[in-house]
Order: sequence, then C-alpha cells, then structure tokens
Amino acid sequence: MIYVCYGAFFIAQPAKGFNGGAGETARIVFFHVPVAVLSYIAYCVGAWHAISVLRARSKPGLAGRNSDADRKSAAAMELGFVYCILATITGSLFSGAQWNSYWNWDPRQISIVIMLLVYAAYLLLRSALSDRTDRRAELSAVYCLLALVPATFLIWIVPRLPWLMSLHPTEVLAQPKNTSLDYKMVLYPSFIAFFMLFGWMLQLRVRMMRLLSRG
Amino acid sequence: MSGISGKAWRQATFTVFKKEMRTELRSRVSISGIALFAFSALILLTLATATLREAQTIAFSKMLDGMTVEAIAKLRYPAWDWVSKMGLLWILLFFAAFTGLAHTFVQEEEAGTTLVLRMVSPPTAVYAGKLLFNFMLLLAVMVGVTPVYMALTGMVIGSPFVLLSVMLGGCLGLSATATIVAALAAKAKGSGTLFSALGLPLVTVFLLLLLNAASTANTIDPSALRLLRDVGGLYSFAIGVIALSGMLFPYIWEE
Repeated sequence: MIYVCYGAFFIAQPAKGFNGGAGETARIVFFHVPVAVLSYIAYCVGAWHAISVLRARSKPGLAGRNSDADRKSAAAMELGFVYCILATITGSLFSGAQWNSYWNWDPRQISIVIMLLVYAAYLLLRSALSDRTDRRAELSAVYCLLALVPATFLIWIVPRLPWLMSLHPTEVLAQPKNTSLDYKMVLYPSFIAFFMLFGWMLQLRVRMMRLLSRG
Repeated sequence: MSGISGKAWRQATFTVFKKEMRTELRSRVSISGIALFAFSALILLTLATATLREAQTIAFSKMLDGMTVEAIAKLRYPAWDWVSKMGLLWILLFFAAFTGLAHTFVQEEEAGTTLVLRMVSPPTAVYAGKLLFNFMLLLAVMVGVTPVYMALTGMVIGSPFVLLSVMLGGCLGLSATATIVAALAAKAKGSGTLFSALGLPLVTVFLLLLLNAASTANTIDPSALRLLRDVGGLYSFAIGVIALSGMLFPYIWEE
C-alpha cells in the first residue's frame, strides 16, 4: 500500500493520450480503478455469501453457518458501499481536473451513483429489520441477490448504452502504447494492495460483528 | 416447482390470479389508487410543461417548406422531444406502480390469509399468479393513461409496433420488479416508504434501458438490428428479474 502511494506520485510516468493536462491527472487511476472494480467485486462477495445464507436454510444441519454467512454478506456490502463512495469521489475529482466539471452525468457517473443507491437500499433494509433478527438474514440475502440483476446491468451495460456518450477514458488507458512500463509496475501492485486491504477490512468487520452479537 | 406437474402448476397459478382478480373487483383499491395517482400526476405534468409545449409550437412555426428531416430534428432538439416525453411518462408510471402494486401482498398480510395461501398452492405459483395480476393491472392503467398523455403532450406514435413493444416490455419489467420487492417489503412489515426505497433504485436502472430503447426507436429509420438489441435489452432485464424472483420468492414466502 505504501509502495502504491509512493509510486503513484514518483515512479510512474504520466500516461499518454490525455488532452491538455499531459496525463498528470491519470495518476488518480492508481486509486480510482481498483476502488471502482472492488465496489463491484464487493457486491459479488456479498451475493456469494447471500447464496450460502439461503442454502443453509434448506439444510437444517447448517443453521449455525447461516448467521455467519449473513455477517460476511453484510460486511461485504458495507465495505462495498464505502468503496463505492470512494470511487465516486475519486472519479469526480478526476472529472473536475480533466473535464472542468465535477459532475457531468457521464454514464459511468450515472451507474456509480445508482450503484450507491442500491447499496444504500440494502443497508436501509437491514436497519429496518434490525429488531427482527429471525428474518433479517434471509430477507436481506434475497434483496442482495435480486439486486444482482440491476447491479450487473449497471456495471456492464449502462456505460455502453449508445444513447449515452461516455468520456470515460477506459479505451485510452487500455491501449498498451499509452502507458509506460513503470506505470504498469504501479498499477498492478495497486490492484493487489487494494484487494488485500479489502480482504483485511472484511475480516476485521466480520470479527467485530461476531463479537457484537456475542456481547 | 416443488414436485408438481406443469399442468397442476399452471392451474394453481391461474387460481391465484383469479383470486386476486376477484378480491380486486370487490374493493377496487389497487386499480383506483394507481389510476387516481396517474391522472393527478398527468394533470400536474401538463401544467408544469406548458412552456415546453409553447417553445415547441414556436419551433414548428419557424419550419419552412423543403426543410430536410435532419434540420427539422435539429430545430426541435432542445425542446421536449420524443425521448424526454417517454421518460416523463415512465416516471409517472413508475411512481404510480409504486403506490399501488404493493397492495396484493400487504392485504394478504393484513387479512392473515398468508398461511392459507401457503398451504393450498406452491410458492412459485403464488408468485406467478401475483405477477400476472400486477402485470395486467399495470397494463390496464398504461392503456388508459398513455393515449391521454400523448394527446396532452403532443407525443407522436411513431412506429406503432416499436411503441407497443417498448410499452409492453416496460410494463413487464416494472411489474416484475415491483412484485418481488412488494413481497419483500410486506414480509419486512415495512411501510410504503420501505417498498419505494427498495424498489426505486432497481427500477432506475430499468428506466435507463427504457430511455435507451426509446432513443433508438426515435432515431430516423433505425436498423432492425439496433432495435432488436435495444428493445431486447429491455426484455432481458425483465426476464432476468423474473427468473431470479422465481428462485428467490420461496425464501421470502416460507418462514
């Protein structure tokens, strides 16, 4: 993580292919892209554990695992919400620096903000059910899985709708000639660092929830 | 399908649907609620967009003979085009649906008939029956509201086949999302607020797809492939939600 923070500013050469700012703004990519990717992966992790919540119900022997899977699912969703906020903020900063407006309803901005709404709705459902622990695990697991359809559409389809024109520089960065080797040497470790950070935070949160439920 | 034959399942579904129809016809709460909401919103909308309509009338009066279709389209562009009219119509229908479609499940919980229904028919049949009922209800409201809306805002029909498939796909996706979320909210003993708060984020994604399909349908002479792709996207969302709901509904339904 320290290497990424240092490398983002001092090791990597500015990316090419950006107008005007000589690619200096592309340094935010080291933080923005892993965070944005994680905000979807966190959802998938949450959905994965939601499946095991529902599976545990049909097998009576697994009742103990049910609440633990529920905790994991909830923790992943909470973290996803945080990562989603971070992705929105970093994306907005880039947008402000690069396109001179912090918010211009780019399709990616639309989809991330709706993704935020979906996460918020999930957390709202959980807090609405906070006094009904018997049904909370299942109902929130169902909502999590149900919202998988819109979430998948948001991440994979909405940014590619022909009706919306995107300025998001995915293609610019994906071309190998636009980024130098040291840029990649920072970007890939950055992914690893953020994934490890996510795993660590998830573990901490699950352990905290376990302690809370015991006390 | 919990071990019963396809025929029995269809029969159970149809029975649930008939039962919903009968309860609805007895009180007419859902349909009149949705229709009242839709028409009040329609009137508000017409009043609020009066200036937009005037702007369009002026733009039309500036049109000269022999103008190309593109030039006319450009002249009209800033004001109130087909896509934005479609968008407003659907926002109206979305909110109308979210005021009324929860009724089937809430009423079940209030009357305490959930247990009986759970005994007589398999959960997927209950889901299918209620979805069918909600779909019909929304369709009825849409058939009533859309022509009035078109007349008031001066929305042109365009290609009737495309319009019909977009409207049908919209109804299907909207009723599918609303039905499953209504089941969830009713079980959570939530108020209407919870229902809207849970449903609207999901439905917002659907609105984006709808507007995308509408904008394709609006382009001058869209190719069949583009239409298939964009209108098909609409249906794929609806089918995805229905398929997932069918799998998840038993978990909501059986305590």
